[in-house]
Amino acid sequence: MTPRTAALIRLYGVQAAWTYERMAGIGVGHASAPLLRDLYAASAPAERRAAVARSAEFFNSHPYLAGIAVGAVVRAERDGVDPAQISRLRIALSGPLGAIGDQLIWAGQVPALMGLALAASPWAGAWVVGALLVAHNVARLLLTSWGLDLGLREGLGVGSALSRSWIAQRASDAQRVAAFGVGLATPIAAWQLLGDARPAAWAIVGAITLVGSVLALAPGTRSHVSGLRVGLGLLAVAGVVIGGMP
Amino acid sequence: MGVALYRVDDRLVHGQVVIGWGRPLGVRFIALVDPAVRASSWEQDLYRMAVPDGVEVFFADVAEAITLLPEWEADRRAGVVITGDLETMAALYTARPDLVNRINLGGIHHRADRTERLRYLYLAPEEEALLRRLDAAGAELSAQDLPTTPAVPLDEILP
Repeated sequence: MTPRTAALIRLYGVQAAWTYERMAGIGVGHASAPLLRDLYAASAPAERRAAVARSAEFFNSHPYLAGIAVGAVVRAERDGVDPAQISRLRIALSGPLGAIGDQLIWAGQVPALMGLALAASPWAGAWVVGALLVAHNVARLLLTSWGLDLGLREGLGVGSALSRSWIAQRASDAQRVAAFGVGLATPIAAWQLLGDARPAAWAIVGAITLVGSVLALAPGTRSHVSGLRVGLGLLAVAGVVIGGMP
Repeated sequence: MGVALYRVDDRLVHGQVVIGWGRPLGVRFIALVDPAVRASSWEQDLYRMAVPDGVEVFFADVAEAITLLPEWEADRRAGVVITGDLETMAALYTARPDLVNRINLGGIHHRADRTERLRYLYLAPEEEALLRRLDAAGAELSAQDLPTTPAVPLDEILP
């Protein structure tokens, strides 16, 4: 197994040793170790241990994007960057990787997949659960792999590379897809659960879904309408409307 | 509106600041006071990426921040001033105690010489002494990582 593959596998458990003291730091150190072991193969063991210890310092970001930090830190070690500057790189990466990851994954991909899976469930049945899990994990593997390679390629320049990359724009798009998915799923889920509701209830839910989808996609409003907001809003309104129908 | 929060947080700009505090306070600018970040374009690139559209980020060293504090306080938008360590915030307080009078301890994390006081607050002996000096000088100090959690006053952190 190559050091990169080992690091990639270890990144799946990056939060396994999460603590308030170091947050994901130990997981990042564990993921970095194979790459650092390879990098410091010809060096004294103390140098390698010091590099691994540095990579296990406090770190906090979105777990799916931690590979970017692992790659960037290892590349900085390879480039002989001053250890204090490497520590600053880790701190500086925490905020943006957390913010982008939250938007891309927690407010984007996850609710989008859940919504689309829910919407497909009447026709696809239980298979949709398996498809959802496969899609989510394939996307995570690709994202983690891309991030690790980006970090390894860019090192200290990873900030500029990130700002030029697809990820910031897609994080915004993912939330709009999530809004669409949840908006689509809501009436279908309601139909499944309350199949004998009056037609007027469905007309109302459909109208609400349409309005929510338009708000989530229109250039003038989309920056204010996240998938979570639309989803929760639609659920609340649909619940009130359907619950209030005799 | 002006500065709604003076915060010490060694993670600088991150989700708790941008989302946790930023949304309820309606924050539209963040002033990051850190000499190393002020001098580092790649770090500034990264921190700019951490904030959503519509939020402006300023980078300043201590001297610049002291000059700009009245301007930030007079800003019509709500803002947050963040320092990465206590020493920097103490310098701002010392220069303008009339403006920097309430200090939020939002996150000082583990280091070999620090002791855990709260889950997000680890303090070295010299940092504890500095907090006591600021307290004695009249600064209002409390620890609070998020607006949804209770603020812990200094006398509970350092009894």
